[in-house]
Amino acid sequence: MPEPVFSLRTSGRLRRRQLVSRMMGALAFGAALLAVAVLAIVVVSVASRGASALSLDFFTKSQAQGFNPSGGGILFAIVGSGVIVGIATLMALPLGVLVAIYVSELAPPRLARVARLALDITNGIPTIVIGIFVFTLIVVAHGQSALAGSLALAIIMVPLIARATEEVLLLVPSAQREASLALGVSRWRTTFSVVVPSAMGGVLTGTTLAIARAAGETAPLLFLTSLGANSYADANPLHPLQSMTYVIFTYSDLSDPASQAKAWATAFTLMCFVLVTSLAAKLAMARYRKKLGG
Amino acid sequence: MRELYTSELEELESVLREEGKLVDRAIRGALNVLARDDLELADELIAFDDEIDRRYLTIEQSIPSLLARQTPVAGELRLVLAILYINLHLERIADYCVTVAKLAKLAHGLPRDRAVLEALEEMGERCREMLGTGLEYFYARDFTDSQALIEMDRPIDRANRKLIDRLIALGPDESQREWAMRMMLASRCLERIGDHAVDIGEQAAYLVRGRFEEFTDASHKPPPVT
Amino acid sequence: MEAIRTRIDLAGQGRSSAAGEREAVFEARDVSVFYGDQKAIDSVNIEIYQRLITAIIGPSGCGKSTFIRTLNRMTDLVPSARLTGELRYRGIDLYGPRVDAVEVRRRIGMVFQKPNPFPKSIYDNVAYGLRILGMKKDLDERVEKALHAAALWDEVKDRLKDSALGLSGGQQQRLCIARAIAVEPEVILLDEPASALDPIATSAIEDLMHELKRDYTLVIVTHNMQQAARVADMTAFFGLDVSPDGSRQGVLVEYDETEKIFTNPSDKRTEGYVTGRFG
Repeated sequence: MPEPVFSLRTSGRLRRRQLVSRMMGALAFGAALLAVAVLAIVVVSVASRGASALSLDFFTKSQAQGFNPSGGGILFAIVGSGVIVGIATLMALPLGVLVAIYVSELAPPRLARVARLALDITNGIPTIVIGIFVFTLIVVAHGQSALAGSLALAIIMVPLIARATEEVLLLVPSAQREASLALGVSRWRTTFSVVVPSAMGGVLTGTTLAIARAAGETAPLLFLTSLGANSYADANPLHPLQSMTYVIFTYSDLSDPASQAKAWATAFTLMCFVLVTSLAAKLAMARYRKKLGG
Repeated sequence: MRELYTSELEELESVLREEGKLVDRAIRGALNVLARDDLELADELIAFDDEIDRRYLTIEQSIPSLLARQTPVAGELRLVLAILYINLHLERIADYCVTVAKLAKLAHGLPRDRAVLEALEEMGERCREMLGTGLEYFYARDFTDSQALIEMDRPIDRANRKLIDRLIALGPDESQREWAMRMMLASRCLERIGDHAVDIGEQAAYLVRGRFEEFTDASHKPPPVT
Repeated sequence: MEAIRTRIDLAGQGRSSAAGEREAVFEARDVSVFYGDQKAIDSVNIEIYQRLITAIIGPSGCGKSTFIRTLNRMTDLVPSARLTGELRYRGIDLYGPRVDAVEVRRRIGMVFQKPNPFPKSIYDNVAYGLRILGMKKDLDERVEKALHAAALWDEVKDRLKDSALGLSGGQQQRLCIARAIAVEPEVILLDEPASALDPIATSAIEDLMHELKRDYTLVIVTHNMQQAARVADMTAFFGLDVSPDGSRQGVLVEYDETEKIFTNPSDKRTEGYVTGRFG
């Protein structure tokens, strides 16, 4: 029998292909492992350095008075951060979503391009500059307050939310819009009743990222609520409030080990705060998706 | 599924059924005209043909439309074709009934022979039987044996031969001869009616078996019993 | 096409069909559609009759989808699209200055080629239009009525809160029909409603259309000639015209009772298309 032209037997070429395939698989696995490892290292090192200051007191007591560096906790720093970031989110979320809707659904193409450019530029402004801007706008006339801090953070968050929302709005198939319009529903109602609900996932993701970014900002808060470092038991947004980032800054400036540990512990708390927010958003998304049954 | 199509087919068949009943009445009517020599009845029968024609035309016109619009296949295609041909055969039978009535009118007042009239009655009734049987097979979609139909054709042939012998034996009188000619033609009509009835049976067999076979053919002897 | 019984009666009265006595719902006079400077459809003159199924057939690119979308102003969604000539709905110029496109679309509904239910529950899909358009009274009854009319009620009555996306393709399409019916339109436009469905689902949609015809005027675009033959009372054949400068436009070649188009068309081009010789 003459040898057939095409043979299915394992040849050298096939073995080489299999080897390359396995190598790529291993490389990809290694990269993933590395990424997870980096996160783990960061979390572990921060936690370990702050471990000595972590205690129930730490979370439930306000800052110690006077010059006593030990004892006391960061309760009101947590509260302050929560208030500042919370109000910022309340301001930025609707604004970001509306901007995204305008840019992706309703604006004429040229205006849309201008708006997108403006958002991108805003995204790139150094946050300290934003802080100075808000300082000039509000603090000069009315003094420091958490609200001023929220405003600055909101300015930082809007581009992030708007971009993420816009991207996911574009992903909603036009067939959905057509279906709604064909029923005799106006453009606005279509956007809010069909397009936005379908895009909720992306909106939540964008918001979570924006919250994470805002929660970690220190520079703007320097100008706008730093005096809150002196108020130990306040939650009124019209007053300057403590914030975790500023607390990290001040504690790390002090040289005694207890304060250093407190700085690390606050950093760890901040990290957990962001982590919990992310998980909560993911949970909300999963439950929402189950409701849609998709 | 395809409810409109299904109901169209059912309607078509129901119109055919009506036509079949009307044709049966026409055959009986023609026989009555011969038996009673009734001119008025003959005219009524001729007018009655219009009823049959209307249904014939309706089916004729509906079938191309149905074929074009519903593209029937398989059994339904054979059904539609069977309806098409049976429709044609029924119309021919009805025409022959009209011819018989017209012949009876022309033969009015001439001396009649009872034996001949009896033979004609016999032939006519056998035709009705064959028509009824063929149509029944069609409606029931059941065709177990074609032999029954072929068997039914034989009495008609016998009656026909008896009749011809009798006619030949009729007297030399001119009016008698005229009557004999007319009745000869009438018997020919009845024989043709019988042939069409067999054809209807063939269509029923085609529908059920999926292939077309002739039971009897003028040029061949009838096939052996299968 | 008349039922066979009716034919016997009509024949007795000496008439050939009843279609000519119906009221015209749409009247198009010299309607041309442009996308920017490109003419897509040239000078259509047609009348669409009440409570009949009118099919639009023709080769691809002949403008069938474009034409049906002019009937409910969905062409407005394409910025460069414009229409010349007169298109009247019950005597009103659809493209007149004081006509609200949104209201037009409420009265003239549309079902699309690919089923596009919202990612909501079955109930919410049907109730969507009702809620937004303020028809909230007796919502449950209205939803049930629409689902009955779309021949879907029995299959979904026990799982109205389930997601619409869990239904099969044929069911989803019937759901889209129910959704369109719920807002009580007068006309339903269907743009190749069954082309994404398997033969059994297609048959179900065709049977459904025969039932809907009792209450609604239906216009359907289909690339499947046999479907037009099975379903439609009137058929319009759109062909492609090549003008001297090489550009192609859709034109209405022939418009007649479906039976005539498929047994004895007047135009050679129609005959060529329905026999599958070209196009």
